[in-house]
Amino acid sequence: MSELELRQTTIDAEVAHAPRRRARAARLPRAGTIVAGAFVLFLLAATIVPGLLETQDPNQISPGEAFESPSLAHWFGTDESGRDVYSRVVAGTGTSLLIGVTATFIGLALGLVLGVLAGFGGRVVDYGVNRLVEVLFAFPGLLLALLVIVVYGPGPVTATIAVGLSTAPGYARIIRGQFVAIRSSQYVEAARVLGHSRGRVIARHVLPNALIPIFVLATLGVGQAIVWAAALSYLGLGAQPPAAEWGAMLAAGRTYLSVAWWMTVFPGLMIVGTTISTTVLGRALARRGRGDA
Amino acid sequence: MRAAPVTATTTKRRAGIIAGAVALVTTITLAGCQAAEPEASGDPVEGGTLVYASGDAEPTCLDPHVGGNYPQALIAGQFLESLVSRDESGEIIPWLAESWEPADDQLAWEFTLREGIEFTDGTPLDAEAVKVNVEHLKDPATQSSTGYLAMGKVESVEVVSDRVARFVLSAPDSALLESLAQPWTAIQSPAGIARGMDANCQAPVGTGPFIVDEWVKQDHVSLVRNDDYASAPADAAHTGPAYLEGIEWRFVPDSSTRYAALQGGQVDVIDNPQPDTIAATEGDDAFTWIDAPRPGASNRIELNSGQAPFDDERVREAFIRAVAVNDGIDSLFFGTAERSYSPLSSVEPLAHSDETLFETDVDAANTLLDEAGWTERDSDGTRMKDGARLTLRFPVSTNQSIPAEQSLFEQVQATAKEAGFEVVISLLDLSSWYGALFAHEYEIVSAPYTKVGPDVLRILYHSDSITPAPSGYFANLAQLDDPEVDALLTGAASTSDPAERAALYEQAQQLILGGHYLLPLYDQQNSFLLSANLQGARAMPTVSTPSFSDAWLID
Amino acid sequence: MWAVATLTFFAIRLIPGDPAQAILGGPGSQASQEALDQVRRDYGLDQPLLVQYFAMLGRLLTGDLGDSYALKVPVAELLGAQIGGTLLLAVLSLALAWVLALALSLVSTGRGRIATAVGEGVELTAAALPQFWLAAVLIAIFSTGLGWLPPVATGTPSGLVLPVVTLAIPLAGFLAQVMRESLLDAMAQPFVISARARGESAVGVRLRHTIRHAALPGISLSGWALGWLLSGAVVVETIFAIPGLGRTLLQAVTLRDIPVVTGVVLLIALVYVVMTVLTDVASRIADPRLRQEAGR
Repeated sequence: MSELELRQTTIDAEVAHAPRRRARAARLPRAGTIVAGAFVLFLLAATIVPGLLETQDPNQISPGEAFESPSLAHWFGTDESGRDVYSRVVAGTGTSLLIGVTATFIGLALGLVLGVLAGFGGRVVDYGVNRLVEVLFAFPGLLLALLVIVVYGPGPVTATIAVGLSTAPGYARIIRGQFVAIRSSQYVEAARVLGHSRGRVIARHVLPNALIPIFVLATLGVGQAIVWAAALSYLGLGAQPPAAEWGAMLAAGRTYLSVAWWMTVFPGLMIVGTTISTTVLGRALARRGRGDA
Repeated sequence: MRAAPVTATTTKRRAGIIAGAVALVTTITLAGCQAAEPEASGDPVEGGTLVYASGDAEPTCLDPHVGGNYPQALIAGQFLESLVSRDESGEIIPWLAESWEPADDQLAWEFTLREGIEFTDGTPLDAEAVKVNVEHLKDPATQSSTGYLAMGKVESVEVVSDRVARFVLSAPDSALLESLAQPWTAIQSPAGIARGMDANCQAPVGTGPFIVDEWVKQDHVSLVRNDDYASAPADAAHTGPAYLEGIEWRFVPDSSTRYAALQGGQVDVIDNPQPDTIAATEGDDAFTWIDAPRPGASNRIELNSGQAPFDDERVREAFIRAVAVNDGIDSLFFGTAERSYSPLSSVEPLAHSDETLFETDVDAANTLLDEAGWTERDSDGTRMKDGARLTLRFPVSTNQSIPAEQSLFEQVQATAKEAGFEVVISLLDLSSWYGALFAHEYEIVSAPYTKVGPDVLRILYHSDSITPAPSGYFANLAQLDDPEVDALLTGAASTSDPAERAALYEQAQQLILGGHYLLPLYDQQNSFLLSANLQGARAMPTVSTPSFSDAWLID
Repeated sequence: MWAVATLTFFAIRLIPGDPAQAILGGPGSQASQEALDQVRRDYGLDQPLLVQYFAMLGRLLTGDLGDSYALKVPVAELLGAQIGGTLLLAVLSLALAWVLALALSLVSTGRGRIATAVGEGVELTAAALPQFWLAAVLIAIFSTGLGWLPPVATGTPSGLVLPVVTLAIPLAGFLAQVMRESLLDAMAQPFVISARARGESAVGVRLRHTIRHAALPGISLSGWALGWLLSGAVVVETIFAIPGLGRTLLQAVTLRDIPVVTGVVLLIALVYVVMTVLTDVASRIADPRLRQEAGR
């Protein structure tokens, strides 16, 4: 089982608890969901129009103002080069989310291909893909990432690909499981009996049914991908300067933890906030999806 | 200016936390000028084991003849010794050799060894041992690079008598003594070398104050006292065995962990402290700071003049004029580093500085770039010429540049942008970094080079160093190819007249600086934080490695 | 295992950098052409790739992992000295994560909305903490601030506390998320209701009956968790200066020390396989239903 499968278990459990939960759901306005939604809106705004939210140029250095604590002029303080931490956090949103989303997307896309192959390719292909996934699983994620980076050079692109690759086996397993379950479900049987082609069955029946839970899963993976990318930044192999990226900011600020706590706390809060709010929204979506079904 | 290579200071208590950082700069710098040795209080105490936490990479071999890098030198200084040493004024002083004399034609040097010295395995130190060591360094199977280069002009060593060894040279070498003062050419027991590379890497045998007892990989090296030690260098505080019973030499790669361990009393000495932690211990009586910049080259940004756009001197000058680093050095290094304007370390007596060449002037930079034809600008302000962008690739080694230096490079990037340079920094691991250099995929780069004496200029800026070694390595990263510089450096390396040598090196440095091939930043930072109950420790004036033969621990 | 070895072998060949260079003192060395040629002959690097590949497989079959390029010692010997420390670290962290996760899910599940929300918040936050940052904070508090624990792990039990906690907290966040769901599941089961009807206290029911249900997914996750911990070990071993596989791996990748990288990967794959088998057995013991299925 992987961290993703674990999340899948969580989602399945939500589905299982549906009746009891739905009663609660009706009762509660879900303040958490609203807060999470507001946070995600802020993230989106920071991604699309960072200029509106920044108080100054995020790469504007000012060595004389280095290590200033949070104040009205610098809401989140300044970093070692006198740059405004708040503006950098805003500017870093796009990069960080891009890393998180793209990495998740890569993992998901690969997982989808492998999962579809395994779920519908017949016994031999299924066996082959399963073994491949097992092998990939045996590689520690960070090692896989390290190898990719060493081969293709460090940077946000390789870090993203590396993180995506290392999550792919997890997705592949879940998707295969989903497909196997749907394949043997009654409506697919019915479609088969009606004489629909295999391709049509996949496109019309299987994919739509598998995609909702997968989408939910993806929202959960984004935060984790950002944390992984942060670990790569700590090892000096993540985003390249001067790009403001939360993980890189966290890694850089760690050196100055004792003199400038704000350099790590704010980007750290953003990572935690993103993880929590996407997860909360993901779960809300899971409930909605279930309610509609 | 630092008056001496080694300065230790204990400065006043810091008033503010960080706001005062810049003001603090002045205080520390002033204190640094006084160049006081650590005040040893009270009489030496026998016994105790010192715990040292090293942030440098763990060596893969403890024998500094093999390869030859700084981490090896750090620890090898505890158990190996050289023929000669250097004192704080830069004078060569006796160590294992008590005297030396060049022949009239400068093509042979006779070294007379101290009497009655034995290696810790009982082998006597004699001329034969010196001969074996030089042959070991020159043998390709040893895989020496630093020591091998240092012995470049030594053809052979002849045994004149038991205590006299004659070095036969292929050409006069004014840097011979400086080369022999380095830990990479230290003298080991011939019997130790004869055990083969594997055994000798594990525990080299020397004449030093300590003996390698055990090396637990990735953890620590245990060193025990050499009770028969009798070969302290001429500038040591005492002769005879060390006061300490031993040293536990630990490898702690993370700088915050090292500092926390020192604060908690888990270790007694740390190396490579971060500038902010040095500043944080200022005025705290519990700690002593030994500031020991490395000799040889200063830390500098080299401009690759071998390809566009820096094949045009105007563009090189524009870059140097555009970049502002002084404020950044003050704030990022918390006053622990002083701006350099020389290709050589300030510990080198022959270093030549010229501040006027490095005054920041963005207007002048813009004018120069306009003259050089970089007149167009693209949407983000980067200058262009014939469709090419003014992009400077800057590979940075995460193993060699501390966080403060990486931040400084970001500031270089930001200030150069104002004049229209686009600086692309890539943070790389060591292998990838060398890969980028070997493929000439850089316009600017910063690479440290430690060597005793100004002869390092010949390694870094002589056109011979443009030709890569079979491994791809080349030291002349600026790709400086000037017959006049070559002639000056070759002349300086061969002359026996000290005044002429100094004059030649000064002219060479003027040409190198004047040609805008490099941007000096500061001395190669190298310092140690000591717990105050450690007394009598010092950094060797050779390559600034720590020495504990005179040190003791008080409770 | 064969597949892992093959994949590693070819993946590492993709890495730019000359292995002969790695053998001769690493990057930046100034080895002579003769020395490079000599090393290529000695290590068979001048042979075609496939020949090298089969030579490696042949050695592996006899249990020979080759010699480290950088350290010039047999890889098996090198890793043999490191595996114990890393496994100890991983197992202790796993155990602590387990305890923390169980405690958290038992305390916060089924106690109303606020307890659940707080519980979930703690879990998600814990799971989102980067280890390198957590480590720095723990050192700042417990070593520098309070002076209770040493920051450098020197082999004493107290030195292991901080690294273990650093690894365990994010993992506990993951585990608790799963355990909570299983607990909810279990508490809706008829046997819980009947136990309560028999007059057992809520706490008693939790401890006696539902804990087993919470534990199940935790057990089956342990194989994955161990792999996760070994990745985390790269960072934690570097920070706390613990000798171990993670640091060895990082150094070997940087120095292009191919035999060591291959060795570490194989070793981790082996641990993973063993762990998968163990967790299968453990789940069968903890869950009677699985036992029956197996019996049928």
